[in-house]
Amino acid sequence: MTVTENRPDYKWVGTRPIRHDGYDKVVGKARFAADRNSPGQLHGAFLRSPHGHARILSVDTSAAEAMSGVKAVVTGADFPDLPIGHPERDTAVNLMARDVAMYVGHVVAAVAASTRAEAEAAAAAIEVEYELLPVVLSLDESIADGAPLANADNRTAFSGSDDPSNLATVTPLERGDVDAAFEAADVVVEREFDTAWVHQGYIEPHACVVDVGADGKAEVWASSQGHFRVRSQAAAVLGWDTARIKVIPAEIGGGFGGKTTIYLEPVAARLSEKSGRPVKIVMTRDEVLRATGPAPASKSRIRIAATNDGELTAIDGWIGYAVGCTGDMAGFVGAMSVASYKFPNLKMEFVGALTNTPRSAAYRAPSAPQAAFAIESVIDEIAQALDTDPIELRLKNAVVEGDLTSMGGPHPRIGFVECLEAIRDSEHYQSPVPDGAARGIGTGFWFNIGEQSSATVNLNEDGTATVITGSPDIGGSRASMALMAAEELGLDVHRITPVVADTESVGFTDVTEGSRATFATGMAVVNACRDLVGELKARAATIRGVEVDAVAWVDGAAVVDGHDPLPLADITAKAKSTGGPLTVTASLNAGGAGPSFAVHCCDVSVDEETGRVEVLRYTTAQDAGTAIHPSYVEGQMQGGTAQGIGWALNEEYVYADDGTMLNASFLDYRVPVASDLPMIETIIVEVPNPAHPYGVRGVGETGIVPPMGTIANAVSRASGVRLTSLPMSPPKVLAALDDR
Amino acid sequence: MSNDATRRSRTHVSCTVNGDQVDFLADDGTSLLDALRDELDLTGAKEGCGTGDCGACTILVDGRINCSCLMFAPEAEGCEIVTVEGIAEGDHLHPLQQTFLEGAALQCGVCTPGFLVSAKALLDENPDPTETEIRYALAGNLCRCTGYDKIVRSVQEAAVQLRGASR
Amino acid sequence: MPRAHLMTPLRRFTDGEAVIEVEGATVGAMIAELDRRFPGIGEMLTKGASAAVDGLIHAEPEYLAVEPDADVYFVAPLAGG
Repeated sequence: MTVTENRPDYKWVGTRPIRHDGYDKVVGKARFAADRNSPGQLHGAFLRSPHGHARILSVDTSAAEAMSGVKAVVTGADFPDLPIGHPERDTAVNLMARDVAMYVGHVVAAVAASTRAEAEAAAAAIEVEYELLPVVLSLDESIADGAPLANADNRTAFSGSDDPSNLATVTPLERGDVDAAFEAADVVVEREFDTAWVHQGYIEPHACVVDVGADGKAEVWASSQGHFRVRSQAAAVLGWDTARIKVIPAEIGGGFGGKTTIYLEPVAARLSEKSGRPVKIVMTRDEVLRATGPAPASKSRIRIAATNDGELTAIDGWIGYAVGCTGDMAGFVGAMSVASYKFPNLKMEFVGALTNTPRSAAYRAPSAPQAAFAIESVIDEIAQALDTDPIELRLKNAVVEGDLTSMGGPHPRIGFVECLEAIRDSEHYQSPVPDGAARGIGTGFWFNIGEQSSATVNLNEDGTATVITGSPDIGGSRASMALMAAEELGLDVHRITPVVADTESVGFTDVTEGSRATFATGMAVVNACRDLVGELKARAATIRGVEVDAVAWVDGAAVVDGHDPLPLADITAKAKSTGGPLTVTASLNAGGAGPSFAVHCCDVSVDEETGRVEVLRYTTAQDAGTAIHPSYVEGQMQGGTAQGIGWALNEEYVYADDGTMLNASFLDYRVPVASDLPMIETIIVEVPNPAHPYGVRGVGETGIVPPMGTIANAVSRASGVRLTSLPMSPPKVLAALDDR
Repeated sequence: MSNDATRRSRTHVSCTVNGDQVDFLADDGTSLLDALRDELDLTGAKEGCGTGDCGACTILVDGRINCSCLMFAPEAEGCEIVTVEGIAEGDHLHPLQQTFLEGAALQCGVCTPGFLVSAKALLDENPDPTETEIRYALAGNLCRCTGYDKIVRSVQEAAVQLRGASR
Repeated sequence: MPRAHLMTPLRRFTDGEAVIEVEGATVGAMIAELDRRFPGIGEMLTKGASAAVDGLIHAEPEYLAVEPDADVYFVAPLAGG
């Protein structure tokens, strides 16, 4: 179902063609990172720290080097020591420890050998002498007075201080007079919350094949959310010119933010350089969970003031994120996520603090889900206290265009109210709550980003087209690019071939993050097509012998008064005689990414004997601005929701006291399976983003923000006890029920 | 550094894969998944976990679904193996492949081969499954992109088409 | 004169002032002038902030033109998954 505001009549945008890369993916032909083998390749394996925090006193690789099949061994000494403050120092230190191992699983050395088994055996034979250091495992331990340092190189960002600290960021936000507002309030609710470390859980482990030739040039085959970032990060970590590195994008088997940084490629490059052979490294699932970038655990305290007539007058609170072993922006970005309600008075502090756990990475709207869980829970409790409808309460306080965001600056045109109304008016919300169940409401916001993109559009001799971009296709973006090009050129979408090109074959394009691909790369495609239409009109003017001003472009043809329309294919057929090939490249740094809001509604039942929560029905409404390919917009909404349901109910990193992860498998780190979930009903709301030619808003991330609050609110209403700790796994729910 | 002087012990395996008789050599410790991918270059089946928890490597062995990461390659001796590369009939996609495409049941696509094989096994056995039966039949296959909604709907649609075709 | 709106963490440089009138035809010129008046704030604004102008958020807005009566909101750096 779609709720649309003032949408122009498009021919292609908003349709649901079969995606161009779909065939390869249903017949098993699509090549993902691990699907490539190079002649003569070696296999890489890692030695990882068994300690949560330890100084590396010595590394003896001699025994490993003498073993069968071993061709190369590398350690931290094989990489340049980037200075503190270098933008890729944390990436470098994380993918190969230098002097200190900062979490269990931190890479200390790597081996390339003829077989993976030989590489693993040799890695295990590397002898390392460690001096154990104190392990800082939790947020509380990290921020405690006199806490040992989790990473002695860390400085608090933008603090002006050069002293080592466990604090990555401290971000206060303040407006109005919070104390007076609480004094005047009719209702005040205050709660503390905590959430666990969770992982993106992409099904494809990280993998690459790197071949460094004797000429010093490297060809990198890798799965990532952005191959240009792979190139720039690898170049920085290796100390190489970017021109030495060509990155070819493999199909990516899920990322969700977790593949916006690198773990393998520079190591494979050094191994390849040393051995003179291509080197393939494929992570195991155990390695992915133990040593890539999960999303921060959090703790928070939220207090909200309201009047009896339902105005939310003030919010006061603290949200802390455990960010792992290096600096991270979670505390900073989290601050931006408190942007859904007017709150005339606001006093919040956001903290990111280091722990001896893996370096956290982005995970869909990074840091917003933790904040939304807490705030949406407290708002729900206020609705209960006021005995008011939870949607009406939110409608009364929802931000609209011109209202200030928490970080300052007015909201542009947004669709939060429209999403609330869409859920309120939905068949789901209007239907009675099933017997023995309860219904929860929650909302979420993500602001999205623009950044740099390039696109090249080539028209072929026969009037077909190729659209070349540098944004990996994570979930249908090739189809979106082709649809926008089809609309601009007036060309059948199936006569357009969308291509994701390597770093030497298309202009620079930033990593696919911040829900930016369809927005920003799409804008580059539109700009290229518009330039191309200008060129097509000029060629048509030559053919017709008229001034270019006399030519209009209508539905894929040049129209000149007094002549039959000149179809695109007739112009491309005469390209040679009218000036040569028809090709245009456009590049931009896109501003104006439009925030996307979502409102979720779910029905749950709680088994009082086992503590198991069952999600019976789930509906999500989200503002997509304009849905270019509605099926894949729905897919983003459903996928984000499912991940959020896992975050809410099952998923958590379980650590032993020494920092060892105890559940590093898909058996024990339990992501939702098909039988855990109902259908996830979608309502696409379309309030066009004025900053995009088709009104696109990024839709990828917002979907994961509301589910935790939504489900917690439903569980709390079903059980009569407020659940404040994620995941709401059966033992925790049972304990909460017992405490009633 | 040593040379590869010592030959590893390798076993000759003879089986059919997607209808073709094949022979290959496999290290005794090699999984069937690795043999399919590395010896036969059938990279449709994926390794998502290597422990039988994600289903990305699902194949049919003598008509039954198996996690190929949990089978040793020599165990395939004499078996009939079907992988995702073998479920289309000639140049006609299997109805499941077609409904997955039309129903947008894949996003990144890395779990898709496993889902298609599991869903085919289900529909071969039960041409008219309920939604719950579909969800339980696919519970051994993890998808992190879709929330399963469009996968389940696509399997339902394929079941309708297959029943229509067999009537 | 354009107005620079500073998110809370930036106000330690300005003695708590949230809104500063500052000359500048571009965001970069405004930052330079702010840094002259409030030493140290320039680095934070350059490395640690994005700017919202007319409701649109821009990353690396150094050369972005600013109208004489514009409101420029310096906000946290952008990120995403």
